[in-house]
This record gives sequence, structure tokens and C-alpha cells, in this order.
Amino acid sequence: MTVAADHDVPVPYMQRTRDYYAALGFGAYRWAHCTDVPFTPLSKPLAQSRVALITTAAPYQPDKGDQGPGAKYNAAAKFYKVYADSTDSIPDLRISHVGYDRKHTTAEDPSTWFPLKQLQLAVKAGRIGALAPRFYGSPTNRSQRVTTESDAPELLRCCRGDGADVVLLVPS
Amino acid sequence: MSLVARHLEANGLPTVIMGCAKDIVEHCGVPRFVFSDFPLGNSAGKPFDVESQAATLELALRVLESAPGPRTTVQSPQRWNDDATWKVDYNNLEKMTPEDLAERRKEFEAVKATIKDMPGRT
Repeated sequence: MTVAADHDVPVPYMQRTRDYYAALGFGAYRWAHCTDVPFTPLSKPLAQSRVALITTAAPYQPDKGDQGPGAKYNAAAKFYKVYADSTDSIPDLRISHVGYDRKHTTAEDPSTWFPLKQLQLAVKAGRIGALAPRFYGSPTNRSQRVTTESDAPELLRCCRGDGADVVLLVPS
Repeated sequence: MSLVARHLEANGLPTVIMGCAKDIVEHCGVPRFVFSDFPLGNSAGKPFDVESQAATLELALRVLESAPGPRTTVQSPQRWNDDATWKVDYNNLEKMTPEDLAERRKEFEAVKATIKDMPGRT
């Protein structure tokens, strides 16, 4: 057994961010916090299921400045409405609009935050039945009210409309 | 993203989240969560490492199949690197000079102004 270093624990992002905002002179962000958690068991095996993918990555917008890989935080590249695109090919998505770890990762390989290639392989291998024809983009607008009242219901409509049985969500 | 997973699940769609921010996802409370102890931005596996990415997806699929109930978190056994010193850096005030902070404050004000002007922002 190897004894781990004291710092080798999951990063306390909420505490770091609270301290950081306070030092910058800004008010505290309140993360969503719930006591009850819903649960729906699978209705059929994955090999017979259609899987939908939801991402927070943004389609590349040439007129919105540097979006990387490796770009500085670019709030102009954010999107504010749910979008959908085909899962038949790999789209040009970027993550310059979110706070990923820019010191220790470069965002050069989209497959680290958008597992569409792996999902396509899983279909070929028969591990999952099929992919929904479209994947969906979930806005990162920092408004829990907008997420709950607008974006989440829209994403539910998308998933249902495309006949999804299960959903994989991958924040970037 | 956690709130979206909760909404889908509450309406009959089983979900699994792949993520790197354990405290934030668990603070919200989600049905199923595969935690990769990697720097933010690598929820689906290591860069240019197909095996890592395949293993991360397979773990998510297994969690979908086998979670006994809500708030199921499974941590990926993968390590980003051996010494894990990357964990000390993110937004860590102890690592920042007053000049760093002043620069960040300036950037943050610019970001706030940009977001405020965005269409659809409410």
C-alpha cells in the first residue's frame, strides 16, 4: 500500500472558488444544492438502448475571438440556447467559454470532453444499441433558474423527440 | 449540468454524468456520477489516450447499468500523474501574488460585462 500525499484528494473547487471570489472582492456564488435526488432504473439493456449525449462545449464561432485550443477564458463564445447537431460526424466544438484547468490541460483533444468517437465505437461493438441522431448543447449561463425552467425542459424535449432511452452528460 | 441530469431523470430518462468536479456535482446531488480525478476539462478521459477514453466511457455505461440508487458516485481508478501536484494549483490564493489578483480582477470585470451584454441573458 502506498500512502498518498495530503494534497492528493479531490480538489475542493467550491472552497477554492469561494476564497478566490472573496479575495477579488466579489460576492459568493451559491452552487445548486438539493436533498432529494431522482432515480429512474434502466428499462432495457444498453445493447438495445438509444443513447443521447449532452455537452457544455460550444460550436466554434469564427467571429467570436480566440476559442483555442488553449485560448484564454472567452465569455463571448458562450451560448445561451440549447442547440443540437448530428452525431454522424465529429463537430468542431470548443471549450474556451468555460473554466477548465488551463494550466494542466490544453483542450487540444476534444475527445477528452466530448466522447462522441467512443460512443460511435460502442455502437459498432454492440455495447450500446444506437446513438440518438443528434447530440445537444447545454448552456453554461450560471443561472440556475434559466437552467431549471428553460434549458432542462428543452433538453428533455430534444431527448424524447429523438427517442433516447438513456442520457450521458459530459460537462467540459 | 447536474440540474439537467436531475430534470431528465425525474421525467423518466436514466442519466449518468462524467465529470471532474466531485464536490460540485455531489453538492447538487445527481443520480449517477463517474468521477475522474483529473484537471477540469478531461471528463471523458486523458488527452490523446484512446484507452483512457474508452475505459472512462465503459465505466459510465457500467454505472448506468448497475447503480443501486441515486447519488451513486464511482471514481475512475485512472491517475492523471503520479505526484498529483496539479491539484494544488487551481484558483489557489496561496499561489497568487497581489499583482496576479489585480490582473484577474480586471479580467473578471471584463467577463461580467461581456456576459451581461449577451442576447438571451436573463
